[in-house]
Amino acid sequence: MRREHSVLYVASRAVVLTLALLAVIVPFLYLFSNSIKVEAEFRATPPRLIPSIVTFEHYRNIFSGNGHIGAYLLNSVIVAVIVVVLSVGTGALASFGLAKLRKRYRSMAFVVYLILLVRFYPKVVMLIPYFILMRNMHLLDTVFAVVIAHSSICIPFVVWLMIGFYEEVPIELEESAMLDGCNAWMRFTQVIFPVVLPGVATAAIMTAILSWNEFLISSSVVAIHAKTLPVLLSSYISDKGVNWGSMSATSVFIILPMFIFVLFTQRYLIRGLTLGAVKG
Amino acid sequence: MPRRKSRHEVGSLMLFALPALAIILVAQAFPVIYSLVMSFRNWSLASSLTPGGFVGLENYAKAFHDKVFLNALAMSIFFCVVATVLEVVLGFILAYFTVGESMALRVARTILILPMVIAPVANGTIWRMILNPQYGLFNVALNHIGLNSVDWLGNPSLALCSVIAIDIWQWTPYAMIVFCAGLSLIPNELYDAARVDGASRFRILRSIIIPYLVPVTFIILLFRIVDSFLVIDAIYTTTFGGPGFSTTSVTLYTYWQAMRYFNISYASAVSWLISILTLGVASGLMHVQRKVQLSIMGVKS
Repeated sequence: MRREHSVLYVASRAVVLTLALLAVIVPFLYLFSNSIKVEAEFRATPPRLIPSIVTFEHYRNIFSGNGHIGAYLLNSVIVAVIVVVLSVGTGALASFGLAKLRKRYRSMAFVVYLILLVRFYPKVVMLIPYFILMRNMHLLDTVFAVVIAHSSICIPFVVWLMIGFYEEVPIELEESAMLDGCNAWMRFTQVIFPVVLPGVATAAIMTAILSWNEFLISSSVVAIHAKTLPVLLSSYISDKGVNWGSMSATSVFIILPMFIFVLFTQRYLIRGLTLGAVKG
Repeated sequence: MPRRKSRHEVGSLMLFALPALAIILVAQAFPVIYSLVMSFRNWSLASSLTPGGFVGLENYAKAFHDKVFLNALAMSIFFCVVATVLEVVLGFILAYFTVGESMALRVARTILILPMVIAPVANGTIWRMILNPQYGLFNVALNHIGLNSVDWLGNPSLALCSVIAIDIWQWTPYAMIVFCAGLSLIPNELYDAARVDGASRFRILRSIIIPYLVPVTFIILLFRIVDSFLVIDAIYTTTFGGPGFSTTSVTLYTYWQAMRYFNISYASAVSWLISILTLGVASGLMHVQRKVQLSIMGVKS
């Protein structure tokens, strides 16, 4: 939007943005400072956003002794990586097929609709049956159970996103490949896939975020070994003593990777976050 | 293209969709149908390891007499309405002031979207510390200027306001960036024309910006109504549904029935009730959107 701004607009913008930025930055700063503060300073008055003494004992604590965070951190990373590969891979493939099939067959349009419906119904519905299914297959408390659950949530998202991208590809591109005798697989891998790479990047970023942050389903199928970081963090609620140090340090581990992600992937991220709002 | 080749083509396109459909079938479709069946039976893991007989709609009827469930339902509806309305309003204000391509505005937008990409459980943890009655940032600050501490998460009605505020903190950025995307779609010529006509800023807002933003507003409403109604993560790490049941949402209540008490049939019935409600509201909203969209297009043309 290009237009000359009145003084009133510029002034109110300064006020609104300052307040909003403070509201976002202060809580994060507070969390981070708690993770490097000595115990005594948690209750200092006036509250300290910048600690007077910097300590890494909380980080040392969460990496030592019982409930060592390392294993859970590794779980979270493994889950996120596999979920991204699995759901973007199968999702990109599926939406290529479905984008075409849904135009030819009403039944296929209905399948697409059902897949998108997964985004909207409450995930508590699947908790028990999925738990029982995993129990019967002796897969409870495994990374596998978490990966499949996450993928089943991410795939609908990828399909929705990618169908939009495929439909933007000029039809002539595929037709000329067809005339050259390319079958569907060759057209997908050699002609279409390279064109929709921005969509694939967006899908990968969004599924990584979804999987990294997911709590509800993970918490229902893991117990000890396959815990992911959000599940670990949620267990701090039952601690009677206020263990702010470990709590903040663990939170920083969950949050920081996402911040770095946002910084480097912003261009793709916005399209993923606003999916459905702007055509595509 | 010859007919036979085209049929072959359909086959391979179906094959493309197969792996993704298999995963969804196993982890979503099967569980959903299984839970529907269970909702008509009588099974609690606490009393039996195998499902009991069919009891018709008994589990559903039970929900309508379950005070805690009805209370959770009321809480979730209140939460959903207040949070969604405030997120849309605040999101619009933020978008109105941050839309633009200057470096400073880009940086501001990047910072402002941070809350929505972090795990809701981490969001809850941050606010649990800030709102802590003894050492929390808010109370220490209040004490510092001579005011008494407030038990933000310990007083039933205040706790509800607090968890709503936490949701608003996390999800207003969503409304903001969607509105930003919507605003950037408005052609510059419209503004130019309006200015030539001598339209005031308020008039531009009313006659150009708001009508243009109606479609994206529906998208925000759709996602925020559904997701805030089904909130659990941030509540789980702040109040855990308390004090009492004052912040117990329908999802949290169902989660307890399922994963804590193992009332499989009852939890299934309750989860289906909230599914019906959610999908009903979502499809109703899309229906309204289509109507509004048509009427706007009619006005424009």
